[in-house]
Amino acid sequence: MRTGVYFCQVEQMDGLNLDAVAKYASNLPEVETVETLGVQPRLDPQLLAESLKRGRIERVVIAGDQPGYFKPIFTRSMALAGQDPTEVRLASFRSRGATFQYSLERAKAIVACATMAVPYALAAIPAETPVHPSTLIIGGGVAGIQASLEIADAGRQVYLVERSGTIGGHMAMFDKTFPTLDCAACILTPKMVAVGQHDMINLITNCEVTEVSGAPGAYRVKILKRARRVDAKACVACGICSDVCPVSVPSDFDANITTRKAIYVPFPQAVPNAYLVDALNCTYVQTKKCGACAKKCPKECINLEEQDETMEVEVGNIIVATGYDVLDAGKVERYGYGKHPNVLTALEFERLTNASGPTGGKIVMKTRQFNKRLKKDEWTFDVSGPPPQSVAIIHCVGSRDASYNPYCSRVCCMYSLKFAHLVKEKLHDAACYEFYIDMRAFGKGYEEFAERIKQEGAFVVRGRSATVTETDGRLVVKGEDIVNDRLVEFPVDMVLLAVGLIPAPGTEDLSRMLGVTRGPDGWFSELDYNGNPTDTERGCIYVAGMCQAPKDIPDTVAQASAVAAGVLRSISSGKGIGHWDTLSLSEIEARAKSLARVSDKPA
Amino acid sequence: MPNSRIGVYICNCGTNIAKLVDCEAVARFASEHPTVAITKTYKYMCSNPGQEMIAQDIHEQALDSVVVSACSPRMHERTFRRVLQTAGLNPYMCDMANIREHCSWVHKDAAAATEKAKALTKAAILRVERHEALDRFSVDMCPSTLVIGGGIAGMTAALELAEAGYPVHLVEKKDHLGGNLTRTDLTAPYLDSARDLITERITRVQENRNIEVLLNSQVKTLEGFIGNFTAGIERGSPQADGKNQIQVGNVVVSTGYKEFDAARISHYGYGKLPNVITSFDFEKMLRAGRIQTKEGRIPQYVAILHCVGSRSQEFHGYCSRVCCMTALKYVHEIKSAIPKCYVSDLYIDMHAFGKGHEDFYRKTSEVKTVFLMYGKNEHPVIRKADPKDDCEMIIEVNEKLSGERIEIPADMVILMVGMESREDAAQVARLVNISQDKDGWFIESHPKLDPVATTTDGIYIAGTCVAPKDIPDTVAQARAAAARILGKISRGKIEVDAVFAEVDETRCSGCRMCNELCPYSAIEFDEEKRRSRIISAVCKACGCCVASCPSGAIKGRHFTDQQIFAQIEGVLL
Amino acid sequence: MAIRVNPKLIDELERFGSEDVQNCYHCGNCSAVCPHADDMFVFPRKPMRFLQMGLEKKLERSLTPWLCYYCGQCSVQCPREAEPGETMMSMRRWLISRYDFTGIAKLFYMSWKGELAFVVIIALLTGVGLSAYGLSKGDIGIYDGPGAFLPSSLIHTIDLVLMAVLTFLLAVNVMRMWRFIMEDAAKAPIPFGLYLKKLYLLPVHFFSQKRYAKCDPENKNRVHIPWITHLGIVLGYFTMLVLIVLFLDRLQAGPEIQWSVHLFGYLASIGLLIGTVYVLYGRLKKSQVQHRRSHSTDWMFLWLLFYMVVTGIIQHLLHRAGFPEAANIAYVAHLMGVFPWLLRMPFSKWAHMIYRPIAMYFAGIIRESAALDKAPQRSTQYLQPAA
Repeated sequence: MRTGVYFCQVEQMDGLNLDAVAKYASNLPEVETVETLGVQPRLDPQLLAESLKRGRIERVVIAGDQPGYFKPIFTRSMALAGQDPTEVRLASFRSRGATFQYSLERAKAIVACATMAVPYALAAIPAETPVHPSTLIIGGGVAGIQASLEIADAGRQVYLVERSGTIGGHMAMFDKTFPTLDCAACILTPKMVAVGQHDMINLITNCEVTEVSGAPGAYRVKILKRARRVDAKACVACGICSDVCPVSVPSDFDANITTRKAIYVPFPQAVPNAYLVDALNCTYVQTKKCGACAKKCPKECINLEEQDETMEVEVGNIIVATGYDVLDAGKVERYGYGKHPNVLTALEFERLTNASGPTGGKIVMKTRQFNKRLKKDEWTFDVSGPPPQSVAIIHCVGSRDASYNPYCSRVCCMYSLKFAHLVKEKLHDAACYEFYIDMRAFGKGYEEFAERIKQEGAFVVRGRSATVTETDGRLVVKGEDIVNDRLVEFPVDMVLLAVGLIPAPGTEDLSRMLGVTRGPDGWFSELDYNGNPTDTERGCIYVAGMCQAPKDIPDTVAQASAVAAGVLRSISSGKGIGHWDTLSLSEIEARAKSLARVSDKPA
Repeated sequence: MPNSRIGVYICNCGTNIAKLVDCEAVARFASEHPTVAITKTYKYMCSNPGQEMIAQDIHEQALDSVVVSACSPRMHERTFRRVLQTAGLNPYMCDMANIREHCSWVHKDAAAATEKAKALTKAAILRVERHEALDRFSVDMCPSTLVIGGGIAGMTAALELAEAGYPVHLVEKKDHLGGNLTRTDLTAPYLDSARDLITERITRVQENRNIEVLLNSQVKTLEGFIGNFTAGIERGSPQADGKNQIQVGNVVVSTGYKEFDAARISHYGYGKLPNVITSFDFEKMLRAGRIQTKEGRIPQYVAILHCVGSRSQEFHGYCSRVCCMTALKYVHEIKSAIPKCYVSDLYIDMHAFGKGHEDFYRKTSEVKTVFLMYGKNEHPVIRKADPKDDCEMIIEVNEKLSGERIEIPADMVILMVGMESREDAAQVARLVNISQDKDGWFIESHPKLDPVATTTDGIYIAGTCVAPKDIPDTVAQARAAAARILGKISRGKIEVDAVFAEVDETRCSGCRMCNELCPYSAIEFDEEKRRSRIISAVCKACGCCVASCPSGAIKGRHFTDQQIFAQIEGVLL
Repeated sequence: MAIRVNPKLIDELERFGSEDVQNCYHCGNCSAVCPHADDMFVFPRKPMRFLQMGLEKKLERSLTPWLCYYCGQCSVQCPREAEPGETMMSMRRWLISRYDFTGIAKLFYMSWKGELAFVVIIALLTGVGLSAYGLSKGDIGIYDGPGAFLPSSLIHTIDLVLMAVLTFLLAVNVMRMWRFIMEDAAKAPIPFGLYLKKLYLLPVHFFSQKRYAKCDPENKNRVHIPWITHLGIVLGYFTMLVLIVLFLDRLQAGPEIQWSVHLFGYLASIGLLIGTVYVLYGRLKKSQVQHRRSHSTDWMFLWLLFYMVVTGIIQHLLHRAGFPEAANIAYVAHLMGVFPWLLRMPFSKWAHMIYRPIAMYFAGIIRESAALDKAPQRSTQYLQPAA
């Protein structure tokens, strides 16, 4: 087939030597012409058609970062030129991760495949490697838990490593989950228990992955086990130790709206359900004084002298499920988070409204209390505190915003609606306002949920509120109610910020250790957005859940199970996938040639 | 009375139960019952400490049975049965009283709710007094899998299983693989080639020896139970020869969706106005490289209308999830093919939620798309334009962001038709014995934590037959289903629940009334004995046969008359 | 009656300096942070919406662009970088061209070459004409009094003629502005009395520019520099106009200084100089958000003004210092700036000096008529469930 290769770009590509690729393309069999049209070329279909006619081009290959943007005009031109319009092929560098200086060879391969009408993904399949039967899962949130259970239930060994003292992740902090409103604990804790009890799961909490070496199918992973300083087996979580502990610090599990001791269990249903010592805040660890807990412990299972240790495990596959973190709401100054006590982040409200939260699930405003220990007033939640009469919920805080996160955090709309429901349910006559830009209720049963919340009497205001200020002790929300064409400015008792999501801390280090690249927004990059959403560029390394991009619980769980499929497939077939960047140009060319016969005319 | 040392555990379920039911009172009430050895309340009985507490009591108090008053047994019966098992009791010596869904969630009056909770708990106590130890047994797991539907979901699931080394039968109704995706040209938001994606899958499927592809074929019958299904297949060409009965251990249902019929919305004039087309019609134009009106003119104004048949009261309440990004994709495709064309996009809310979507949305704004927002349940009206206008049609609508009633010029209107469940979905549901929701989508066993399994063991669902989904989510779900199956297959055997009905041959009169009644066709008739026999592994213990048997010869294990009467007695207090 | 969407308008406005308005996704942040927007006049979002949709009539009839003094907060905070501030600015330019019935303004805004040509030609004509007159009729060595190179009587007459022309042009444009805005601004016809009652707004806003002072969301307490400088330019300009039109002879008399007029002259010059330099510097440095983007007409406005001020001062100094020849040359140079400037006035940025106060005046009237309106008021407390 007489083939024409045209290079067009949407954006400038960092450092990829297009001329070299073009030169290579011109030497490919059947390639008649090669043209480099540059960035966002203004193409005229008529002229293009004529040039195609002149060159008697039967197949067009568009090469560039996102050639799809130019496909329609080439298709049209082919039609105008009287050629088969379906013979327009794409050589997409971006979606195959070939926009960089070092990806020259791959770019060539992508073009080669396109000229032979062979999908790159089909030709470029890395060498198979033997696989070690056990799997490392980094992150013990719902994604990590789900993946562990899938794999372990299939009778395979799993190492589940978790940075904090317990598994459960963010989901364990939530009260209810949208849209079904069943309580997060009810559906998560059984799975946590199952993980804790599973013979095939080696659960390692309070630890950090420090080094990854070896090759796909046989990775050696160094794990730094921080000293728990409590014998988790012996501990019965009686709590005497934390009663006597003099140190109290903000409880991260409670989103810092309550305090915990330096020896603590994150929450009553934690797995493993044993106390641990927060070395940074423990007086004994820091100064060798105190040690009250060790003296009082009836089971004598506290050893404050315990040291961190490094363990090394050998695994075939690695699943990354490190989840997310929440943008610091203080950065979005106009909402006065940190300045006004009753401006809360979503997580803080989750804990406040949670049955196991500081007020036992009672929604109250922060009140000023005198802290005897610190000898100063501070704003805290107190069961006897006044319930808010009006609550404003502000969407897209730091999301869809060029100054913060340009991307949508995907879950905020729905949990904000859920908040409205919780407020309405617990405080019947409280007014509740939702300030939103687009109501993204896309999932199964979500739209219905949104409707229901409106029926329950929440006011949804189309227009993201712009400022939260304080006048004589009340918060004043100002925004534009676009649909009703007016500026609204009114006092409320409480403001909830639907704060955007960002990759978990340490994501950068991990991506360096594993060699898994990250997208412009910092989330881990999947191998292929559509075809391979859970594999990565690195062989036998997968991403699941939020760490790949924001997603809700059902999608996270589905992805976690999907990852398990990849792992189980490789183990039971004994064939792991090698690194994708080790493929040589000649290999891909050869395979593409052998596949070139494939006819892919859509019926 | 077989059991006389009963432990009763009342769960607060955070505040879910405790906010209305006085759990302490219920505990006190239960403790007065003679056979109750111990009663306790706890915040989360299902949590680790809760479970350990029960296990500990079983040892220390030498309990012989347990009652848990908490949530629905659908939620946690398994959990607590496991507790009993680990504590050395027979798992069936446990019963749950549902004082959440049946009580605290549905009532307002605290006192009355507490009384009801007591009654339910009493019923459970009386019932569990009569519980008998039952034994589970296990059956072999057939390693091959049946995948129904050869779209991206079906092919992905098939490949995962086949590449793991297990046989797969992939049944496709049409004469080609690929499903709806073969009708699209590019994918949002990166405008990658859908065709490359589908070609890659199809080729891998065709090249894989473990996959038997059955085109033009349909599954007619499915009998048996997890690990041991027999599927009756009606084979079409080219593989018409070959046996019509295949043995499979598991089934993946990935039958996909069909698009909404735009003609149902009369005022959009689809079918009447020549240049009102659906998204799929437009995909055809794109592939043919001919974006033009019926009269063959190149359109100067194109209008894209979102949510056709979706998010509306009279048609489908739900969002079809993919249309927004597809619409934005069309904008770029139109701008590419016809640089001078003006595109307006009528949306309700812009659902750009996925990875790279918001950026895509912004890119679309940057090319000066006229985004127009209309209200839910409002209908833009499409009419023919006057000759003096420079366009074919006029769309009239109340624009919400300007508050104006506006006219939009259009030479071509693209209706973004939503997804709806296929007309044969009900048939498929009946075939594999799973249920559908009000919209016709298949129901998962748990929407959050078990999105691929169904209420029928061994039957899994994936892709757009569960709910609208984009490609990545579909692929993920398909793999999830495969993972679940791989897990099952690799263990080789599966345990069957010990709860099923059995026939007392001495009393069976062979009237065969039950044979017809059984919805799971679990009852066979032994000709020479002239007696009915129940295949315990297939029996779902629904109890139809038990109730219907005129000679009372059928006994439902774990649902004996004594147990049920005791339960009723308990409810009546 | 439904209004026709016109996707082409956005391209037209681009020529007037709007750049990223298409990016706006309508979160409403800009309107809410704007110190001037209120429940009656909601902007910048609303007019931006009209622009995106190409609702030409709506835009033409909107008053809101004039209510904006461009503090730039909207642009700073805009999540989609849609530059609402700059868009409002471009709308003002566009409106000036709309009010102008001659179509010259549009030409100037659409092509900087056209404008430059116009200015240069007038300047040359002025230069040649005046020099010819001076050399024939006067003496280059005499600056004022009998036999002067350019006798103030002559300049005075020219000034008066120009003033007449300008007043006519502006009057017509203002009438058009009035029609555009007032036609469907108020539901009920506005009583004439109201027009009289609110008349006081004109001088108030013209001489105080007080709304600009409010245009300072960031540093509320300190004196608002942009406002001061703007005020400097306005008042300086006005004073100079008065002096030249009414007291030209005394202004030009010399070499001794007549404080009764010159004092005002000096103050005005200082105001103008400082103001112009401040804004020029700002636009060159692009330090503040409102100066980040400059349309060709902005430059023309500033440089011409700057040129006039500088040459004016020079000719004055030279005259006082006793160099009549040099002074006369400087004077010609000065007038070469003045006449193009004056002729350009109604078609240029300068016109906003007139339109703004008038807009405030109309705003005041609309507000009051709305208050008089019998129609039920929208409750101030916001409690309206969404549909």
